[in-house]
Amino acid sequence: MITIDRVSKTKSRTLILHDVTFEARPGRVTGFLGPNGAGKTSTLRILLGLDRPQSGTALICGRPYGKLDRPLTTVGALLDGSGAHRARTARAHLRWVAASNGLPDSRADEVLEVVGLTGDARKRAGRFSLGMSRRLGLATALLGDPEVLVLDEPVNGLDPVGIRWMRTFLRDSAAQGRTVLLSSHLMGELAEIADDVIVIDKGRIVIQGRLADVTGDHHTLEDAFFALTAAEADRPW
Amino acid sequence: MVSLVRAELRKLLGLPTAWVGLVLGTLMAPAVVLLNAPYTRRAITAGTLTDTSDLGLRDLGIGLIGPMVLGVVVVSSEYTSTSQNAPGARQLTATLTAVPDRLRLLLAKTTALVLIVAAQAAVTAAATLTLTQVLHGEHAPVPAPARVAAAILYWTLTALLAYAITLITRNGIVPLALLIINSTVVSVSFLLSKVTDLAAYLPDIVGTRMFIRGTDFPVEIAPVTAGLVMTAWVAVLLAVGAVLFHRRDV
Repeated sequence: MITIDRVSKTKSRTLILHDVTFEARPGRVTGFLGPNGAGKTSTLRILLGLDRPQSGTALICGRPYGKLDRPLTTVGALLDGSGAHRARTARAHLRWVAASNGLPDSRADEVLEVVGLTGDARKRAGRFSLGMSRRLGLATALLGDPEVLVLDEPVNGLDPVGIRWMRTFLRDSAAQGRTVLLSSHLMGELAEIADDVIVIDKGRIVIQGRLADVTGDHHTLEDAFFALTAAEADRPW
Repeated sequence: MVSLVRAELRKLLGLPTAWVGLVLGTLMAPAVVLLNAPYTRRAITAGTLTDTSDLGLRDLGIGLIGPMVLGVVVVSSEYTSTSQNAPGARQLTATLTAVPDRLRLLLAKTTALVLIVAAQAAVTAAATLTLTQVLHGEHAPVPAPARVAAAILYWTLTALLAYAITLITRNGIVPLALLIINSTVVSVSFLLSKVTDLAAYLPDIVGTRMFIRGTDFPVEIAPVTAGLVMTAWVAVLLAVGAVLFHRRDV
């Protein structure tokens, strides 16, 4: 369970998040939708304790991220990049992360297998393609077999096979009772996997609810999105 | 806490740059003693080198590049971009999601660094001083254990100094260039000491007073005082670094 309550954040005197409030519930895939720069990543970074809000609270299972004991056993997070230093092998990266949360070394090889990177375990992260980096990042998120997954643009950089794999993986995770929160600016992609949708624009939540409710009378989620955000859909680019 | 320190040890020892620091730092001082041996022997015979009480200990200085590299890289590796595809992505994100308590994280990092550098310093001091005894035994007195311990402390504090500065700058290049140039090519601290006696209290200069007895210092500072002054420098910089690290958005 993820609870974001009236989170506001100012950066360089600009209000980038304004009273952001929403929930992501267990057993469901919650899609966090918005154009680039709308505040999706900022919200997720506050949720993960990386950045601090000016006001409001972001809780995971009722506690702020910083107060979680061995957080990887509760939350798995995938942000930009893999998080692995270029000079480190995939396995070495996963092993130090595992050690920091008291997890056994054997978890490294287990999660590498889950994401299909077993053959690249001894390869340095700096030589990974974008898609492989995303997989390594996801492997890191899965180390502690967490009940909550927080993913920022997880399909970015994945090839069609990877996208399909990620979609199935996230759906299965939710089916097993996990809370899955993922951000995306790809409306078509979100419409494929999300149960619930939260739309953010210019730092404010525009609408939230079940996918069907958010889409409403509009033909697609994309139509609904443009109607809601009054974005200039007819711009030449 | 033990698992955190273990993770930080693994992290540091998994970096090729850290090994450059370990190997260079450990080998340079004994190598210099070996290469300088004919010159040192001639100087002793000719009577130009009469004060041999610092022999060996003084040579340790060249190896300081090791603790400096280790102190810098333990922080800078967190901030280097992890890939060209995602310029903003850094290891620090993985570190802080795994260990969100930033002060505990710093404590673990500091402990790992101190353990590695103290071990390196002990090995280097033992090798350098043994070599000095083998080569110039009849002229060089065996240094008191307290002086050797002080030299190991100096190495450790130097690593912590580099570490604290990098915590503040969040970038390894500036502190590393500054520290290495200052300790090898042109010592700004030394030049300053020609201008004002106060420069004798700069951390790199005052620290050597813990174990070097030579007389070319403008101000007389007792070893214990020297140790306390350098520790104070490190403590202040570490405190500033820790506060910034705690407050900053990643």
